Amino acid sequence: MSIFPQGAHGGYGGYGGYGGYGGYGGYGGYGGYGGYGGYGGYGAPSENPVLAGGLMTSHDGTTGAILDHPAEVVAGVANSTENLPRLSAAVRAAIYQAELAPTIDIIYDTNTVFPQAVLRRRVSENPLKHTFQMQDMVSMTAPTMDQFQAQMEQVWGYSRIRTDRAAEITTQVSIPVPYFSAIGFMDAGRTPYTLEFLFAALAFTSSAYQRMKYTLAVKRPIEFSPQLQPMIPTPTHGSLPSGHATEAFLMARLIWKLLLHSKAPQYCDTAHWGEMLMRLASRIATNRTVAGVHFPVDSVAGCVLGLTLAEHIYSLCCGGAWWQSSFVGTQFAPEEDFDWHKIYRADGDQMKTSAESSVGQWLVGEEMPGDPGAKQSLVLSWLWSKAVAEWQDITPEFL
Amino acid sequence: MLKWTTYEGNSGVDVLDQISDYRLGLTSETDVSLDEANARDQRWWSVLIELENISINQFCAEVSAYESDLLIPVAYDQADREKVLPRQPVAIYARRRLIKVLNQNENQYHVASLQLGALTPIDTLSFDPKPPRLKPINVPDDTVVTAVVDFGIAIGHDCLRKGPTSTRVEYASILGAKSVSDGSTSVGRVLERREIDRQLSDWQFSDLLDEDGFYQSVGIVDWNSDYVSPVAMNSSHGTSVVSLAAGIPMRDACENRPVICVSLPAEIVEDTTGRGALPTLYLAFQILSQQAARFRCENGSKPPVVFNFSFGNSGGPHDGTGPFSSLFEYVFGPHSQWKETDQTAWLTLPAGNLNLSRLHAQTNAKDTHLDLVVMPDDQTPTFVEMWLPVSPPGANQPLTEFRVETPSGQMGSIPSTPGAKSSLVDDCGREIARLACQRVGVLTDRVLVTLSISATATLSGRTTETAPQGVWAIDIEQPDCEASGPIEIWILRDEAVPGLAPNVRQSWFGNEDYKRFDKFGAPLAVDPPHNPSPVRRSGTLSGFACGPTPVVVASFTERDAGLSDYSASGPLSARAIPPDLPRTGPDLAAKADISNVVPGVLAAGSRSGSWSRISGTSAASPKVAQLATQEIADWQGSARDWVTAVVQQRPFYLRDKSDVYRAGAGGVRTE
Repeated sequence: MSIFPQGAHGGYGGYGGYGGYGGYGGYGGYGGYGGYGGYGGYGAPSENPVLAGGLMTSHDGTTGAILDHPAEVVAGVANSTENLPRLSAAVRAAIYQAELAPTIDIIYDTNTVFPQAVLRRRVSENPLKHTFQMQDMVSMTAPTMDQFQAQMEQVWGYSRIRTDRAAEITTQVSIPVPYFSAIGFMDAGRTPYTLEFLFAALAFTSSAYQRMKYTLAVKRPIEFSPQLQPMIPTPTHGSLPSGHATEAFLMARLIWKLLLHSKAPQYCDTAHWGEMLMRLASRIATNRTVAGVHFPVDSVAGCVLGLTLAEHIYSLCCGGAWWQSSFVGTQFAPEEDFDWHKIYRADGDQMKTSAESSVGQWLVGEEMPGDPGAKQSLVLSWLWSKAVAEWQDITPEFL
Repeated sequence: MLKWTTYEGNSGVDVLDQISDYRLGLTSETDVSLDEANARDQRWWSVLIELENISINQFCAEVSAYESDLLIPVAYDQADREKVLPRQPVAIYARRRLIKVLNQNENQYHVASLQLGALTPIDTLSFDPKPPRLKPINVPDDTVVTAVVDFGIAIGHDCLRKGPTSTRVEYASILGAKSVSDGSTSVGRVLERREIDRQLSDWQFSDLLDEDGFYQSVGIVDWNSDYVSPVAMNSSHGTSVVSLAAGIPMRDACENRPVICVSLPAEIVEDTTGRGALPTLYLAFQILSQQAARFRCENGSKPPVVFNFSFGNSGGPHDGTGPFSSLFEYVFGPHSQWKETDQTAWLTLPAGNLNLSRLHAQTNAKDTHLDLVVMPDDQTPTFVEMWLPVSPPGANQPLTEFRVETPSGQMGSIPSTPGAKSSLVDDCGREIARLACQRVGVLTDRVLVTLSISATATLSGRTTETAPQGVWAIDIEQPDCEASGPIEIWILRDEAVPGLAPNVRQSWFGNEDYKRFDKFGAPLAVDPPHNPSPVRRSGTLSGFACGPTPVVVASFTERDAGLSDYSASGPLSARAIPPDLPRTGPDLAAKADISNVVPGVLAAGSRSGSWSRISGTSAASPKVAQLATQEIADWQGSARDWVTAVVQQRPFYLRDKSDVYRAGAGGVRTE
C-alpha cells in the first residue's frame, strides 16, 4: 500500500503522473507553469478526510502508552546527494531549479535602435564569500520589422501545408516527448531519470527564453496579416526566439549527449542518432511556422539558444567548457529559411563558430573554458549520472 | 440584372478559339483601373500555336512588331526553328497583346490554331538562356530509360538513387521553379545528374540526406513562391508515380535504368480542365524527346525509352483527333523522331477516373435536356464542350439549336453556326457566361459549341464577374437527329488537386433519370440497359488517351477481381469518315486498388524511406510502364501489340474482362 503516491517513482504513472510536472501539459498554454500549481496537489492524498480519519482511529487503536525512548536516531547527512533518491520527484524538481536558476541572469539594453537581450552565465564563485561573476552566454538582437515583413512570404508558403502537418502540430503543442521517444528509447518505466533530467532542463529553459522574448517583444505573424489565421491559438508571448525551437533543440542535444556518454556502440559509432534527433527538433520548430505562429528566423534564434543552453546545463553537470553565442537578427537575410546545419553539427556534437547570410554574419560562437574556480553542481551531476546509466548497455558482469 | 446578347452567324467575335478568347477577357476591362489593365497585359501565358507552312524563324520575323511579347523556348533548337511543315505545333510564351492578334481567324501570321495555356510567373521565365548541352550520355547496353512527366517529383528520393550521393535521374526539368541566371532553359530550372549529385553531397549529413534543405536548394520547394510543391508534403503525385514506374531500391546500385523527367508547374496542374496544360505538355515532351536522344549504349545504339504521363481530362472530341491525341501522335506516332533515329519509345497513359463523375452526356434525340449543376463557392470557371457529329466543311447539315437558361431564369441560345455567339452580361457590362460556336477543322471536322461560365465566388478584392450557382438548364434541339450522329457533351474537369488551391468545385449533370445504383445499392459502373438518360458512363475515357499510339491503362481492384468503379470507359465518339477510330477504350487494366476497403497501392512518399498510398488509373499506368521497361528491348512490334501479348503472358482474372470498353485486352499482373 502506498499512502503517498509521490513516493519514489510510484506516482510517475506516465507523464501525467509527474504530479506537478503533469502541469507541463499546460506548457502549451503556458498556463503550463501554472501546472506547478500542481505542487499543491501533492498534498492531496493526505488531505483525504476519510483516510485522515482512518489514520487517527488506527492510531488510537494501536498506539498504546507512549514509550520514553523508543530508539536512537542518527542525524541526517547534510547536503548529500544520497538523500535525493528518497525524495519525491516533485521535491527533486524544485531542488534542480534551485541549482539551475542562479546560474544565469538576463540583462537587456532597450535604449538602442535594436533592443538586445543578453543571457549571462555565472562563471566563477567563491563558495565561502558567495561572490561570483557573470559572463555573456547568449546575446540576441531581433531582426527589423522589414525583415519580419519579408519573412511573411515564407510563413504564407508554409501555411499551405497545414493539412499535411496538422496531426504533428496539434500534438506538439505540449512537450513532444513521444516524438523524441520514437528516436531515443525513453519511457517512464525505463528512463525515469532521463525524463526527470529533461524536464528539469526544460523548466529552467522556459524561464530563460520567456525573459528573452519579453525583452525583445517581437510581434507574432498574426499581427502582420488578418488573413494568416494560425491553425492553433497564438501564444501571448513574443515570437523570437521560438520557445518550441529552444526546447526541441535543447532536448535533442541533451538526449544526444546522454547517448554519447552511454558508450553504447550503436549510439557512439556514428552520429545517426544525433542527426535524427536534430532533424526532429528542426521539424518541430518548422511546424510552428507551418501553424502560423512563428517566423523562420524565430526558429533560428531558438535553435541557437536551445543548443547553447544544453551545453550550459551539460557543463553544470559534468564541469568543463561552455559555449558563448551571439545571434544578430539584423544580419539574417529575410529570404533565408531556417537551417540548423548552419548552427550545429551532430557528428562531434559541436556548435558552429559563425554563420553568414547575404546581409552579414548573424551567428558568432566561441567555446569558453570551464572556470577552475567553479564547482559543478553535485545535485545535477547526480541526476546526470543516473540518467546516463539508463542508456548504458547491461553487460554480463552486472548480471 | 443578367442579360444575354446574341450575335448571329459570323457577326460574333471571329476568333480561332472561343474558350481562349473568353479566358483572356476574364475580368472585364471596363471595371479595372488602367494600372490593372496594364498589369494584365504584362502577364505571360503559355500558348500552343499551330504554324501552317512556315518555320519558327519565319514566324518570329513576321511578328517582329510584337517581339517583346514573345518567347520561343530554347528547347527548340536551330533545326526545329528552320523546319517548315504543313502543320507544326509550337509551344510559346506570349503576352495578351500578341495572343489576341494570333487568335484572330485568318490571321496574317500563318497561325492555324491556338490554345491558350496557363498564366506563367515571370520569375520562372528566362529570356536569355544558354542553349541546352546535348552531349551524349553513355550507358550500358541493356539500358532502358524511363521518362516521366508529372507534378511534384522528389528527385532525391532513395528509390531514384543508386547510392547516397549518386542519382539515377539524368535530367530533370522543374518547370515551376524560379529561373537561374546561367540556366539552359527558357522556363523553370534544369537539373542534370552532375548537379543533382553535387547537391546530394552538399546536403548529406551523418549518412543522411537533409531532404528539406536539398529540395529548397535545387528550387523544387520554394516557400517564397505563390505555389508550394507537394514535394514539401508527405505524399506527392509525381513521386508516387515515378516510384511505380522506375523505383528501384538504392542498395541495388542500378546502372541501367536512368530516369529523365519534367515536373509540371502548379498553375497548370491546378487547372484540371487540361486546357492550360496543353502548351506546357508540348514543351515537356519536346524537352524529354530531346534528352532521350542523348543516351548511347556501349554498342552505339540508342536505348529504348518508356514514357509515362499519369494525367487525364474530360475535354476534346474523343475521337483521336483532339489536341492531346495530336500531341502524342506528333511525339510518338509513325512519323515521329523515334522512327528516324531508330530508337524505340512507348507511352503509357491512364484511362482516367471519370466513369462515375457524370461529366459526359450523349444524345441523338430530337430534344435533349441537361441539368448542369454549377456549385456555389467555385472560384474557377466552368466549361462545357458540346461536340456535333463529324461534318466536312460545306456540308449542308441542318442547324441544331442550343439553349441555356441560367438559374435565375435568363435564357440565351445560338444555332450551330460557327461564329455564332451569345454572351451573358451583367449591369456593368461584365461577361458572366458565353455560349459560342466554332468549327474545329483539319482531322476533327466537327462543330463545337462551348458554354463558358465564370466562377460562382471570388475572394478577390477587385470587382470580378461571378456567375449564379445552381442548375443551368441546357436544351438541345436537333431537327434531323436521325441523319446525323450523336452529339457528345463533356463538362471539363474542375477539381481540387491535393496540395493545391482548394477553391474548386466540380460541376456535373444532375439529370434525375441517371440511375446511380443497382438494386442492392452498389454503384453501377456500367450504364444500365435501355438507359433513358443522356448522362453516360460510356465514353468517359480521358481526353488525353484517345489516340492510336499510347498504351492506355485502366485499373482493377485486386481482391474484388473487378475493374475499379471509377475506371473510365470507351468507346470513342463515332466517326462517319476517316480517320477510323483508333481504339475502343483502354488497352488493358492493371492493379490500382488492393480491395474496396483498402483503396490504392503503396508507392513512395515524398521523403526517402516513406510510403504513400495512391489510387486511380494514375497508379495503374506507371505499373504497366515499369513492366514495359522489362520487355521493350526484346519486343519487335508496337507497344499496343505488346499489350495483347503481355496480358496473355501475365493474365489477371477479371470478372468483367469481357467489357472491352473498360478492360481492353484484360487484366495484367504487374507484381
